[in-house]
Amino acid sequence: MITFENVTKTYKTGTVAVRDFSLVISKGEFVFLVGPSGAGKSTFISLVLREELPDEGRIWVAGRDVVRLPHWRVPYLRRNVGCVFQDFRLLPNKTVFENIGFAMQVIGRPHYQIEKQVPQVLELVGLGDKAANLPEELSGGEQQRVAVARAFVNRPLILLADEPTGNLDPVTSEGIMDLLDRINKTGTTVVVATHDVQVVDTMRRRVIELGDGLIVRDDARGTYSTSPGTGSGGDRADTYRAGDVRARGAGSRRPFSRTR
Amino acid sequence: MAVSVDFVARETGSNLWRNKAMTLAAVLTVAVSLSLLGAALFLRQGISNATVKWQHGVNVIVWFHADSSTATQRVIGEELTQNSYVRSCTYHSQAQDYRAALKAVPATAASVLSASTTPASDWCALSNPQEATAVARTFQNSPGVRNVQYPSQAIKNMENVTHALQWAFIIVALVLLISSSVLIVNTIRLAIFSRRKEVSVMKLVGATDWFIRVPFILEGLVQGLLGALVSVLVVLALNWTIDGVSSGNITSIVYRMRLSGADLGWTLVMVVLVGLVVSTVGSGFAVRRFLDV
Repeated sequence: MITFENVTKTYKTGTVAVRDFSLVISKGEFVFLVGPSGAGKSTFISLVLREELPDEGRIWVAGRDVVRLPHWRVPYLRRNVGCVFQDFRLLPNKTVFENIGFAMQVIGRPHYQIEKQVPQVLELVGLGDKAANLPEELSGGEQQRVAVARAFVNRPLILLADEPTGNLDPVTSEGIMDLLDRINKTGTTVVVATHDVQVVDTMRRRVIELGDGLIVRDDARGTYSTSPGTGSGGDRADTYRAGDVRARGAGSRRPFSRTR
Repeated sequence: MAVSVDFVARETGSNLWRNKAMTLAAVLTVAVSLSLLGAALFLRQGISNATVKWQHGVNVIVWFHADSSTATQRVIGEELTQNSYVRSCTYHSQAQDYRAALKAVPATAASVLSASTTPASDWCALSNPQEATAVARTFQNSPGVRNVQYPSQAIKNMENVTHALQWAFIIVALVLLISSSVLIVNTIRLAIFSRRKEVSVMKLVGATDWFIRVPFILEGLVQGLLGALVSVLVVLALNWTIDGVSSGNITSIVYRMRLSGADLGWTLVMVVLVGLVVSTVGSGFAVRRFLDV
């Protein structure tokens, strides 16, 4: 579903965001991206969405060659990738219903489809009774549920979440992760970039740890750090290199790939 | 992609409403500049209508008696061409003059005209227009000549004044048109800024570039159109005023300045077209430059 092949991205400032980065995420996987700030998590998300182009290497997302995709096709790529952010990014002057409907409207979905699908997805995220509320009338957790609903309403193949629980308390976070898990069970590939130790350790899914633009760890049922609870995982940074990981990613070790 | 028309219309409408003050400023500047442009075009048309006779180098018109014979007319014609001040002459038959007269007078007055009572004429260009009076005096009393006409000083003065006025209007209109496109650029820029959240969400969920751009471009277009509408009313009012001032007196030069339906239509179409171009250029530039899609 997402394939990176020897991708390098250097920003104009000279910062190398990712270097010789290779990775395969299969359809239906649930993946955590962890690592300190500046490790390359956000760059990874920008590259998947083609907000940025790599300097070198190739990227495939949902079967499309992202690097060679003509500019006018980029919106069609993004229709396959739903996004959730730490700051929710809801439109403050639109109701919950309108926020979600907006995502359908702007890609030309007809009115009757919006009327039908928005209530369905609101039920899915457990906000069936909040359709008429404005975002400011909701709690943080509820706002993030709306954001998830908006990202999911067009049934993307991939759901990217950048620090989805960054602004939420642990209990609310659990609810959001539970929701993402349910969305994953519908066959949607879910990638979560996070700093939230508790979330990663509870879920026990594939964990890819980034450090300084490199993949330093790729565990099938990983925890936030190599030794749970201690928070120090950097000691293995030297043992795994990008090429290493690519060999594994492309090979047999894909424990969570679902075949449907 | 199915662009939902009512979505685009609503987005454009709410943009305009949210940006009331800037929209009003842009619309008014467009209106003033287009009104000036319209007035300049109007003056040009009006003056050329009022002085249509004295164009193409015609300096003297010799009108024959309606009942004078062709032979007499031919003699005068030859005398004219032999006159040292006259460069060339064009003969207009009674039928030609009748048709021209029908165009010049209002429909109510046309019924009293007939081809047989309309005089034939010779339209002459002089090698030196200053000699018009001398030429007129020479032929004034020739047999078969009804009268000799040449442009009065009043007409010349009017031509000069309106010519200068017309250029002044056009220059001011151009400056104002530039400032109205800059205003439209700024209005659209503000609209883009105030809607940056929407735009980023639209991009994120995969709205196409044009789907994002169209409401902003339409917003500029609507401003241009509203401005053009106001200036259309101004030009129409100008035409009515001229009708009113001359109170239908067909000998009044002001009356002769009024525009025919076609001329008026042409002026209005020009005003609207220029309004559309200015606003499209303004909003197109703003969208290209400030809307990051």
